[in-house]
Amino acid sequence: METKKTFKFFTIYEYEKEQNYLREMHRSGWKFVKVSGFGIYHFEKCIPEDVIYQLDYNQDGIEHKDEYVKLFHDCGWEYLQDYVGYSYFRKPASQADETEEIFCDDDSKLQMLERVFRGRILPVIILLSCIFIPELIASIIHKTYMITIMFGAVICLYATIFIMFALQYWKLKGKK
Amino acid sequence: MNQHVKKVYVPMTETAFYILLCLKKPNHGYGIVQTVDKITDGAVRLTPGTMYGSLSKMEKDGLIRFIREEDKRKIYQITDLGSEVLQIELKRIERLYRNAREEI
Repeated sequence: METKKTFKFFTIYEYEKEQNYLREMHRSGWKFVKVSGFGIYHFEKCIPEDVIYQLDYNQDGIEHKDEYVKLFHDCGWEYLQDYVGYSYFRKPASQADETEEIFCDDDSKLQMLERVFRGRILPVIILLSCIFIPELIASIIHKTYMITIMFGAVICLYATIFIMFALQYWKLKGKK
Repeated sequence: MNQHVKKVYVPMTETAFYILLCLKKPNHGYGIVQTVDKITDGAVRLTPGTMYGSLSKMEKDGLIRFIREEDKRKIYQITDLGSEVLQIELKRIERLYRNAREEI
């Protein structure tokens, strides 16, 4: 079986982009096998098919895996794997309603973003405020500017991610 | 009824409404999906991500309770608080309907 690996990095809020990527790959004859390590996507050659890929972020579901996967399976979704808190599902478009997703209203999409926020964003904000920001201030006081640049860069990077995440959340909230 | 429940469920989403309505009798997530599909002639199609999230949330908020598990499917039923919230919502919808029918 011919296989292929790609490296792709999707930040925490780019799950829609990731879903589209996996769908596009399947459509061009590369079936998603798994994602592992630091964004290494494994594919195997297949007959091109339109398959819908969906990501859910649900800690409670991962803890009650059997019941969680069973519900998706009953609704025609194949469970693939978990990866950094996200669970991966797919369903051939031929068996799905047009534009079918695993969420049927904006409220539940917002709730998923809230779960991502609590599970992934909030811990980082706490880490940044308790360690990185005090270190940054200390480095300015001690005039160790290399460290200032280092911590400053990390803080800027995460701040960008938070802002992008917040924008996505408010966009969805406004649509509601 | 506490403020949180009032804020989140009055008014409630169509999904929440149908879940509570179906759980007057014990049922599991997929059973609710099938029932709602039938009683709305396919107009309301509930999906598993929404269903799983809603059931967990409603259980946490005390609107429904877990009864037992059958073949890896969790069976729930509405609680007194859930019935109370559903009644409030029904009254609200009846009022909407009545007002829409009457000449203003």
